[in-house]
Amino acid sequence: MAALLRALKVGQVLRALRAAQRSQCDEVKRTFQTAAVLRRVTDDPKQEQVPPSSSSFHQHYQSTPPDSESSRPNTSYADQGGEQAEDYETEEQLQIRILTAALEFVPKHGWSVEAIAEGAQTLGLSPSAAGIFSNGTGDLILHFIAQCNSNLSEKLAEQHKLVQLGQTEPKKTDEFLRDAVEARLRMLIPYIEIWPQAMSILLLPHNIPESLKHLSILVDDIWYYAGDRSSDLNWYTRRAALTGIYNTTELVMLQDSSPDFEETWKFLENRVKDVMNMANTAKQVQSTGEAVAQGIMGAAITLKNLTEVNQRR
Amino acid sequence: MASSGGVARTLCRLYYRFSVCRQCQRQVPNLSKTNRFAVSTRLYSEQRSTHFGFETVSEDEKTEKVYKVFENVAQKYDVMNDAMSLGIHRLWKDALMHLMSPTPGTLLLDVAGGTGDISFRFLDYIRFRQDREARRDTLSRQSASWQEITEAYQPGQSDTQGGVQAVVCDINKEMLKVGRQRAADRGYGTGLSWVVGNAEELPFDNDKFDFYTIAFGIRNVTHIDQALQEAHRVLKPGGRFLCLEFSRVSNPLLSRVYDAYSFQLIPVLGEVIAGDWKSYQYLVESIRRFPDQEEFKAMIEDAGFFKVQFHNLTGGVVAIHSGFKL
Repeated sequence: MAALLRALKVGQVLRALRAAQRSQCDEVKRTFQTAAVLRRVTDDPKQEQVPPSSSSFHQHYQSTPPDSESSRPNTSYADQGGEQAEDYETEEQLQIRILTAALEFVPKHGWSVEAIAEGAQTLGLSPSAAGIFSNGTGDLILHFIAQCNSNLSEKLAEQHKLVQLGQTEPKKTDEFLRDAVEARLRMLIPYIEIWPQAMSILLLPHNIPESLKHLSILVDDIWYYAGDRSSDLNWYTRRAALTGIYNTTELVMLQDSSPDFEETWKFLENRVKDVMNMANTAKQVQSTGEAVAQGIMGAAITLKNLTEVNQRR
Repeated sequence: MASSGGVARTLCRLYYRFSVCRQCQRQVPNLSKTNRFAVSTRLYSEQRSTHFGFETVSEDEKTEKVYKVFENVAQKYDVMNDAMSLGIHRLWKDALMHLMSPTPGTLLLDVAGGTGDISFRFLDYIRFRQDREARRDTLSRQSASWQEITEAYQPGQSDTQGGVQAVVCDINKEMLKVGRQRAADRGYGTGLSWVVGNAEELPFDNDKFDFYTIAFGIRNVTHIDQALQEAHRVLKPGGRFLCLEFSRVSNPLLSRVYDAYSFQLIPVLGEVIAGDWKSYQYLVESIRRFPDQEEFKAMIEDAGFFKVQFHNLTGGVVAIHSGFKL
């Protein structure tokens, strides 16, 4: 219930955001615009930004570049000749690179500053660079989540494109939801041992706003690609339902020891089915209710007629 | 650089009520009568001049005078620190260490490190971290052999550069002597290296250190920008510069209490405990001469550091500035 309320609040903010974004229907145009902004800011040709089409949807993920081939930090930080904006953009990019490099040390050190220090070392920096992050562990986990979410939305966009080109059949809603959530949860598998630690860190008060934001973006993405274009109360109920499905499946996955997490996928299937049933049931209840109401009205009118007929005599 | 007149004008910039000296048209602080004698209006037009507390001296003289100050105070330095700050300086230094949170295997350069407070804390922190990792390793290892367990419990394993983890550099031999003695008393034998050197011209190669700290030392340096550039030079890419220094108190009420305490009590304490009024007079005045938080942050950025931030401690009495060489 609390999750529902939270999702509602977030939903209101998101709807405004989405409305603003989706008013421009040309995906490609937006990509070029974002690419131009980033290129204006960083002149350095090695730091070639930007990514393909789909991740441009989300302003949050625009600063996530594909991992560049240069592992050595570029001289662009060292030369003072650029404008202030150039330095800041490069700093953020560097931070993202450090965090990405740190992810491979997470299984060994857990989600901690040590992992970030090791990641910095692989980039040729001193381990003291881990001090750049004032909220080290939180930043690392949130970066990982952002990465997973953008991977997922890329996959979904590709599928969407194939469907539009007519090369594949569109999936039914429940199947689509199931596949999307499964794909997203599979990205956790390499880190599943230490994921409980990550979840507990995300529950710390200063991390909650960011993590909720990522969750709501994820859920919204999945529903968008599932074909939801509703603009009524359904928008909220659908997202709330999917949030519930995702969270519960994640928790089940944490303590699942079956081969290739079969139990988890079965659980997921059941939950999605439940939600679909509930939607159908809701429709049926509504129509039944209407029918019952009409029946009562008819009976009442008949009664009235009968008594009037009596009186008229 | 600006003409000496311009330099003098900028250097006379102070942070309280001013009055203009009729002789030289420069602003001088409105000090109490006891301290007015310390304000000198000498101006050397042929040499560069700088400030020594509220005095104006030539730059060569300043280095010499600072050296003499610390030569005098070296023996009683730690006692005076405790007396003047009521022991709070330990908390400040601990805060610096927590901000730094060094990982094992990193190399520290502690400039103006004198009696070694920061370096000792650095070694302690690293040792603590190593112990914690060792404990975590043994816990995670479910079936470790006795050999592995005993190895894990060996103290002080990972040293860099033939056992050195921290280098203490100071311009003053007396301070280093005191520091070495304290290290021997507390058993920090290995892992420390004591080097005589000037912060403006460090006797080290480029790209050597992971951390560079300077605690309560940079305001005594004649050319602060040179010291910052040297810091940038000797740090490895990704290395961190940290400076713990007295700074400006923004709260006016606290500021007045602090001023009263500084100018009235500290020189007296200096006279009573260490038998040296003038050195502690210099100390308090040099604090007032040091640029404030934002200005110092700009200076650090000019030297080429990124992500420069400062944290105020005790309401701004002390500030930790941090920057990265990226």
